[in-house]
Amino acid sequence: MTLVTAMTSDTAPLLLRDHFANGDPGPLVGVLAQVPELCDVTLPFIGAALGASAVTGRRKEIAIVRTSANLACRFCTDTHTVVGADHGLTGQELRALRGEVDIDAAFTSRAERALIDWVDALSLGVGPVNPLVAVTAKGLLGDHQLVEITVTVGATMMLNRLATGLDLPVSAATRAGLDDLGLGALPPQAPTTRSSRKDLS
Amino acid sequence: MTAAIREALATGELLDRLWFYSNYHCNLTCSYCFTESSPSTPPQALPPDQIIRLAHQAAELGYSQFGVTGGEPFILPYMVDVLKELAAIGSTVVISNGTLFNGQRLARAVELADHDVAVQISLDAPDPIVNDEFRGRANFDKVATAIPTLTAAGVHVRIATSIEPDRLDLEQHARLCAMHTEWGVDEADHIVRPLIARGRAADEGMGTTITFDEFPAELAVSVDGAYWGPFGPGVTNGVGDTDLLLTRTIEPLRVPAEAMLRVAGGRPAGSELAIVCA
Repeated sequence: MTLVTAMTSDTAPLLLRDHFANGDPGPLVGVLAQVPELCDVTLPFIGAALGASAVTGRRKEIAIVRTSANLACRFCTDTHTVVGADHGLTGQELRALRGEVDIDAAFTSRAERALIDWVDALSLGVGPVNPLVAVTAKGLLGDHQLVEITVTVGATMMLNRLATGLDLPVSAATRAGLDDLGLGALPPQAPTTRSSRKDLS
Repeated sequence: MTAAIREALATGELLDRLWFYSNYHCNLTCSYCFTESSPSTPPQALPPDQIIRLAHQAAELGYSQFGVTGGEPFILPYMVDVLKELAAIGSTVVISNGTLFNGQRLARAVELADHDVAVQISLDAPDPIVNDEFRGRANFDKVATAIPTLTAAGVHVRIATSIEPDRLDLEQHARLCAMHTEWGVDEADHIVRPLIARGRAADEGMGTTITFDEFPAELAVSVDGAYWGPFGPGVTNGVGDTDLLLTRTIEPLRVPAEAMLRVAGGRPAGSELAIVCA
């Protein structure tokens, strides 16, 4: 049950009817459709930011799953765990990206480790990125990949907060995909508020 | 894109009337109201200064006519002033249930006689029993008093009759026409339109189901967004309808007008329903 009503084919706004023409497009499109003119430009952007391009689908999914796990977004982590498997990520790699097993054991490629360090720095940190992480990532990924992955992480963080804030439900297809991978859906988390953060510190 | 909107308005691809949902609350609770309006409905009023601002933007785009509806627009104390300002920009029609024209409100409404404003009052039958079944007790008597009073004062009055198309009673219709002629309302100003199965009408199993393709390409704006046609900003079970929603953005008006033009481009030609059948 989402916090806001997700649009369906019966309620889809006029500009977005094509997205609903072939059935339920999922809760993300369903809630974005509340603001048709925003959805209209956001979906192509998300497609470009998260889809495969000059950066491979595998690397994009590493960035997306890792970012989503770092931001504790159940919807995006679970959804992209299944998508990541479709792009060739192994069960061990996915578990590592989700924070369930050691990341160093799962990823040995220097470029992919640099990618993960870059993603962690962006999605977990505040302020400037550690210069050593930045220089290593630039050296191993190159300028254009660094730019694109940074946009991917930023777009993913936006979607993480959208999905978590609006409590988007993981689809049955994703749950089935996780079962096939031998991975469980992430457990629900207690809401984090400013005061509870203080309590934690 | 502005030029394309202007051309579409000039050629009739888009109709050149902009509708404003001034508010959603109403002193009546009609059984077929597609906005589910009632006295307890939150006002959700478009600010008057925004209405005027949008009207100026509309005129720049090529719109030449305005419609104001609700809810009951004349509940709003500033409505007559808004209508006068709108009329200075373009020909204006305001939809009213006609039951509030007494005392100070009547005195203010009479001021509309000097402006390009038509007051379109809803009246469904020439008999109180039939009319008031849908529109509430004493509705007929109030309307039957208001219309001749307004026309006598020189206010341009139109009458809108909502019917179930398959239940048109010709004898009743003839009596209604005789009545409005006697009240000073011309035949051309009597609009007979089908009940649309939206909002409360749909809940009650009333009205005709109409698809988007059949609605004329008129832009309507409310506090919740911009819609395809004046039936777009309806309410069903307390929730705003979205199937005719174009954009949540209403200002600048160019944004929803562009969206409407995009949607119109994908619509089959010549499919509009003749909603007005005088």
